[in-house]
Amino acid sequence: MKAGARKFVSVGFATLMLASSLSACSSKGNNTSDNTKPSGSTQNTASEGTSKKHRTLTVEVFDRGKPGQPDLNNNYWTKYINDNFGKQYNATVKFVTVPRSQEVEKLNVLMASSDAPDIVFTYDAGTVYNFVQQGGLTDLGPLLDQYGSALTSYLGEDILKYGKYNGTQYAVSAKRTILAGFNTFIRKDWLDKLGLPVPTTAEQFYDTMVAFKEKNPGQVSGVIPYGYSLSSSTPGVGAIMEAFKPSNLTEKQFATLQAQSVSMPPWNLPGYDKAVQYLNKMFHAGLLSPNFVTDKDGKLSDADISNGKVGAFFTNWDGPYRTAPGTYNNLKANVPGAELIPIDPWQNDAGNHPKQGYSPNGLYIFVPKFSKNADLAVQYLNWMADPQNTLFLQNGKEGEDYNMVNGVPVQTGTTTSGDKMMTVANNLDYDILSNGIELGDPQKNQAAISAGYPGYEKEVENALKVSMTENYAPYYYSTPNAADAKYHSQLTSLSAQLLAKLITAKPAEFDSLYKSSVQQFMDQGGKAVLDEFVKNYDAQNGQ
Amino acid sequence: MAKKGIIHYIKHDFLLYLMLVIPVAYILIFKYAPMYGIQIAFKDYNIFKGINSSPWNDFETFKQVFSSKQFFQVVRNTLVLNGLDLIVGFPAPILLAILLNELVSTKFKKASQTILYLPHFLSWVIIGGIVAQLFSPTGMLNALIADMGGHGFPFLTDKYAWVGTYILVGVWQNAGWGTILYLAAMTGIDNQLYEAAEADGAGRFKKIWHITLPGIRPTIVILMILQLGNIMAINFDRPFNIQNNLVMDFGDVISTYVYRVGIQSADFSLGTAVGLFQSVICLIFLVSSNYISRKLGDDGIW
Repeated sequence: MKAGARKFVSVGFATLMLASSLSACSSKGNNTSDNTKPSGSTQNTASEGTSKKHRTLTVEVFDRGKPGQPDLNNNYWTKYINDNFGKQYNATVKFVTVPRSQEVEKLNVLMASSDAPDIVFTYDAGTVYNFVQQGGLTDLGPLLDQYGSALTSYLGEDILKYGKYNGTQYAVSAKRTILAGFNTFIRKDWLDKLGLPVPTTAEQFYDTMVAFKEKNPGQVSGVIPYGYSLSSSTPGVGAIMEAFKPSNLTEKQFATLQAQSVSMPPWNLPGYDKAVQYLNKMFHAGLLSPNFVTDKDGKLSDADISNGKVGAFFTNWDGPYRTAPGTYNNLKANVPGAELIPIDPWQNDAGNHPKQGYSPNGLYIFVPKFSKNADLAVQYLNWMADPQNTLFLQNGKEGEDYNMVNGVPVQTGTTTSGDKMMTVANNLDYDILSNGIELGDPQKNQAAISAGYPGYEKEVENALKVSMTENYAPYYYSTPNAADAKYHSQLTSLSAQLLAKLITAKPAEFDSLYKSSVQQFMDQGGKAVLDEFVKNYDAQNGQ
Repeated sequence: MAKKGIIHYIKHDFLLYLMLVIPVAYILIFKYAPMYGIQIAFKDYNIFKGINSSPWNDFETFKQVFSSKQFFQVVRNTLVLNGLDLIVGFPAPILLAILLNELVSTKFKKASQTILYLPHFLSWVIIGGIVAQLFSPTGMLNALIADMGGHGFPFLTDKYAWVGTYILVGVWQNAGWGTILYLAAMTGIDNQLYEAAEADGAGRFKKIWHITLPGIRPTIVILMILQLGNIMAINFDRPFNIQNNLVMDFGDVISTYVYRVGIQSADFSLGTAVGLFQSVICLIFLVSSNYISRKLGDDGIW
């Protein structure tokens, strides 16, 4: 009996144990919601902080697993934070690491077990809304009034509104300073070799890809004209859909049918079927990465680009120029003379090149209800909003880590390794309040961006310009979509499966398969999500 | 003779019982105590209120589970994959053990045993990587086929072919390790039997059929019962690391579904309900296969 029962119990209840041990812990978190009472005095935080007893503030930090990264809880940046904020407010700031690629799962577990740090954040709007609905977040409104004057004036109502739920400020959204989204890149040297022009329409792009395939200008084995990988977390067809989307959509159509940014394919958007079919055609002509389905994290695609096998691809607007994974650097090392340029081939029926970008909010930052340090958390964010601290956290020390050139910080290269290593450009993992470089002036930010990519200043400037041309942001909803919060991750993984099947489907079966795929998507929650978007849109616009 | 009380036995074998306390405590604390949490399958679990304060929901979770098409698909896939594992994967270690047992050279036997065990110690994450390298459309195997003028075979991208890949990779990983129990059972077979059979003129196959196989029959039956009991339980790593978006019709199983719904979507009640359902089915399978084997005259596991 013992052996059997043990095995059976261990396998069968594995999930239960996880869930239950978490929940068992969480009961202890009940009695905590009271925030530390604000001390009698009014505004000035600094003097107030020092008078209190020493406290510990815990803050989430993304662990990107970058080779050679320093201890994320003890390095140059955490020392700066503790030496400044810590001294001033008589507090120790401790960082709790969360793996970047599993931030939502890990956050759910931390919240359920009441182990979450005082300051937590996520990019996933649905997750925040789930927490709000379950009553697990601290109302930051009164605290912002009391301690957050610099913070509120930095973010402004335009950003703060993204963290309001039915009028209550449960989250503070970071400010996204660069709204550019994505770019399509092509191998300029291949075009030149074949004497081809830069493609400006979807048809021309297709013909160029065929030429790449047939003439193989790079003389590589296994040429991949269009590098593509189907991600499970952000499945989609990229900017191709812009070429097939009608230019005369009404605002309501845009708001409801393409409500979500890149994380969910807009299955009901007119023209989306044509965009998927375009990829299907490319797949059958052998123009697409043959491994696009098994290459779930895009690593293989990055490697193919680096090895010079890929003719064109679609990625983040600055993708190839980033130091990690460093595709352009590697490509140039592997293929001397290789040249990548951002292009604009996805012309729509009105001759325009719209491009999906980001809305001005970034990370959602919030404080769990069981946190005893909500006031200190707001003070911390308020401290971070000080331009001086932002400048330091994003760039380091002047004269040592960067030099001011024309009012723009230029990195000296000290922050790429060792104790000062930034695991992401501009240290966004510590400077959580700004998504992207923040110099307090959009013009300067734009100029500073290119300085952040040593060796590619000109190219990045151009890529940013291309990506920002006719850039549009997702529609702003004042009410979150409850159905989306519930179904989002299941619909995302379903979408990835459907796209995989559609792209590899026999061309003759495409239309019927597309219809049944959309039906399946709608049945498994897509309809509820769409209906709620329509309802919210009507309510918001007084219809 | 007067029957001695339990106290007597405990006193008598005090140290043995003391040693038993540790595993018993382990099982109680880590296997039974957490079952307290099963109740969230019957509740609208709110992670901030905790288990006790969450309201009962009148079997709403189970209604939701059984009305979802996806749920039946993952149950079907789990049964199919485990069933195939039983048909293909279960006899493999037996065959291998017999082959190893027939080897004459001890050195060769030891070496091949060690090599056969090795895959068992690889994590599925690594095996998943190896599988992708070998079997993907431009993987090593397909490159080889293409070089020899053949057409690539969709080992991972066609759902039927994927099932084959999944099963065979499982056999590769586990067959060697599975031989251990059978080989141990074989050493327990009386050598006189073989000598007598030889004297009667039995060949190699006759000896295997009439002596070796009956000799390890109890072991086979017990392992069979255990595997049948687990037919609804599927390990997480193996399907998760080998599956891809094209084969989810067959590759999505209960464990990956529970992970996606329960942890990724934070729908803990739903994940628990599915896990509970799975456990109950496993229990039924285990008890009934044990019952059948006892009826057929073999020893069960209890």
